[in-house]
Amino acid sequence: MRYTRRSTLALLAGLAITPLAAVAQQEYPTRPITLVVPYGAGGTTDISARQMATMAEKILGQPIVVENQPGASGTNAMRSVASAEPDGYTLIATTSSPSFVTPALRDVGYDPQADFIPILNYSGPFHGVVVPANSPYDTLDALIEGAKSGAVTYGTAGAMGGAHLAFASVAKDTGAMLQHVPFDGASKATAAVLGGHVDAALVPAYRDLVQDGQLRLLGVLDGTNDPDFPDAPTLKEAGLAVEFPSIVGIMAPAGTDPAIIAKLESAFTEVASSDDFETFMTDLGQPVRIMSGKDLAATIQENLAAYREIAKDLGN
Amino acid sequence: MLVDAFLELLNLWVLVAALVGIVSGIIIGAIPGLGPTMAIALLIPVTFSMQPIPAIILLLGVYQGAIFGGSISAVLLNVPGTPSSAATAIDGFAMARRGEGGRALRFALYASVIGNIFSCLVLMALAEPLARFALDFGPAEMAMLMVFALLVIVLFGGGSKLDALIMVLVGACAGIVGLDPISGTPRFTFGSFAFENGFQLIPVLIGLFAMSEVLLQAFDREPLVGDAEVPPLKSSAVRFVELWRMRMTLFLSSLIGTFVGILPGIGSTVPAFMSYSLARSRSADPDAFGRGAPEGVAAPEAANNAVTGGALVPTLALGIPGDAVTAVILGAFMLHGLAPGPFLFRDHGLEVYAIFQALLLSSIPTVILGLLFFRVAIHVTRIQPRHLLPAITILAIFGAFSVNNSLFDVWVMLGAGVLGFLLRRANFPLPPLLIGLILAAPFEQSLRQALLTSGGGYGIFVGSPITIGLVALTVLSLAISLFFSLRKPRI
Repeated sequence: MRYTRRSTLALLAGLAITPLAAVAQQEYPTRPITLVVPYGAGGTTDISARQMATMAEKILGQPIVVENQPGASGTNAMRSVASAEPDGYTLIATTSSPSFVTPALRDVGYDPQADFIPILNYSGPFHGVVVPANSPYDTLDALIEGAKSGAVTYGTAGAMGGAHLAFASVAKDTGAMLQHVPFDGASKATAAVLGGHVDAALVPAYRDLVQDGQLRLLGVLDGTNDPDFPDAPTLKEAGLAVEFPSIVGIMAPAGTDPAIIAKLESAFTEVASSDDFETFMTDLGQPVRIMSGKDLAATIQENLAAYREIAKDLGN
Repeated sequence: MLVDAFLELLNLWVLVAALVGIVSGIIIGAIPGLGPTMAIALLIPVTFSMQPIPAIILLLGVYQGAIFGGSISAVLLNVPGTPSSAATAIDGFAMARRGEGGRALRFALYASVIGNIFSCLVLMALAEPLARFALDFGPAEMAMLMVFALLVIVLFGGGSKLDALIMVLVGACAGIVGLDPISGTPRFTFGSFAFENGFQLIPVLIGLFAMSEVLLQAFDREPLVGDAEVPPLKSSAVRFVELWRMRMTLFLSSLIGTFVGILPGIGSTVPAFMSYSLARSRSADPDAFGRGAPEGVAAPEAANNAVTGGALVPTLALGIPGDAVTAVILGAFMLHGLAPGPFLFRDHGLEVYAIFQALLLSSIPTVILGLLFFRVAIHVTRIQPRHLLPAITILAIFGAFSVNNSLFDVWVMLGAGVLGFLLRRANFPLPPLLIGLILAAPFEQSLRQALLTSGGGYGIFVGSPITIGLVALTVLSLAISLFFSLRKPRI
């Protein structure tokens, strides 16, 4: 008897995730679309994907259900979507790491180029090179010069992430002794640089701490400048040959009907370029960066190749 | 901030969550053999789709309710729902046999509430300053803190030290599976993608604490409670003067509970017995203890409820759980995007303060519901757990699956269930295993991070005031433990 309440909750939750039965084939979409998010509920990728879904379902006329499949830095979700039915009813909102970083390092059970059709890119947090406010390094050059005479430690969100690989390549090209210290998530790496436990950190979400004067921004890892800090150079502007572009985009399994892809691209692009979405993302502290499916595919291809090179150099 | 947080609580769903949590906690806790850790582990998945504030409030309500529920079966049947209410049973059951069961339960209830309020105030006072201080906890400090935490569990967790050590190491071994935290390469994954993520905390928790109970009860046909007569429950009251007279006992017990709670890994059994002995030694009439002294009920209840607030301090400030229950609550915090550490109060101050205030205010519904439930509770204690086993099994499978929508986690849960069953039959304690599993990966990572930043020099582990203090504490605990074991005559 005392289990009625809990069983009912369980039952309701069960019903909520049961996909509704398919109805006769009419013009796409005729039933709810599932948008898989490879991270847990409540993170920035999840929140922005949910907003995207809520706004796009008005255009597409069918509900878009966000399903979180966290784990293994996003590769679990990518693998499951790669093998999903290519009917346009299973999509994924994905990021750099499972698209071109992890696949460059080891077998992940899917091919990010052959198994997916990119639909569009709509965001991507800038990753900054930050040092504590009392650090002796004022510029990226000074940091690298400093690392030539003695080891400089830098923290990132995790081992073999894009930021780590980018700096590993910088270290190799310049001969600087940059010692990587991987943390469990970007916020721990940020805490470590604030506490002075590492000399620098390569992390997103640095805006408030830099504006507060607690951290100093030396540069960004992306291909373009952060509009909030136009003076912080990209690695390329600082004379280094790498970059770590951050993407947040939507992809469909390979084999999806091009007409469906076109319809989704136009709907999602319409949402991403709206003022409401821009306001929402600004509040979230995330940029809106729109790229067509074709450009996203090119970015992934280019970086996959670059990261494979870096990984090879690191001895993987 | 405090007012904004309070306004967050003026929400129907928050109230519903608190009430549902407390009521289901009291009921589950009152059933002999079912305890708060299992109740929370099973309910975490139910809170997945809820907002963080009601979700955590529901789980904390379950916990508070279950602790009080545990004292119902301890007092009326002499069957403590949790080891921590074993101390309550000594005098509580004696009172119940005298026909004062109602009075004993009222003392237990009021003492619980006082312990809870005390520790909650300490939590509110300490957690945020400690979280600020957390920026000074770099890899070396974290590594030494975890050495201390693991040592404390082994030395002072109660029971056999060797058993606890073995369990910590089993947990730590399980924590090694997955991606290497420093090089990012897979370890012990046997080429399986599913193993790359390691064993997830929540499926393991559900397996260890819920599934193992099902297996234990299924294979152990001896009923926990026979058809023993429940002592009659006369209507009674506890006057304020009676509580006022034991104010020092209540204060000292709450103090012991809170501060032992802050030490990682000890749990609530040790402080419950500690404050019971203290109350007896301070009493003018120590002989009354064991024969139904109200203070013998009040002291352990105040202490074991005060543990929660204390244990939440290191959990929220540093991400190091104080006991099995806070480990479960830590899992729930992470799941709802509230990552413990120096940024918790900056990024989620509103949620955290709302949760603190709810913990404080939930004393009111706990008293009301507790008083209402006395009569019902007698019937609840007669429920045979075997009737609930199918429902628990279904919830456990559903819960494990829903964490990542992955069938692999269900297998992990079932595996952990079988392991937990075997270990419990062999009388090994499970909480050290859980803490070992939780701390293994961060300990390894901190240790190796510290060595990376120091260029391989071990001096970094005694290189700051914090690490020196932690090393001193570690050595001191070892010395104390050695001292007592040498003084104790060998049998």
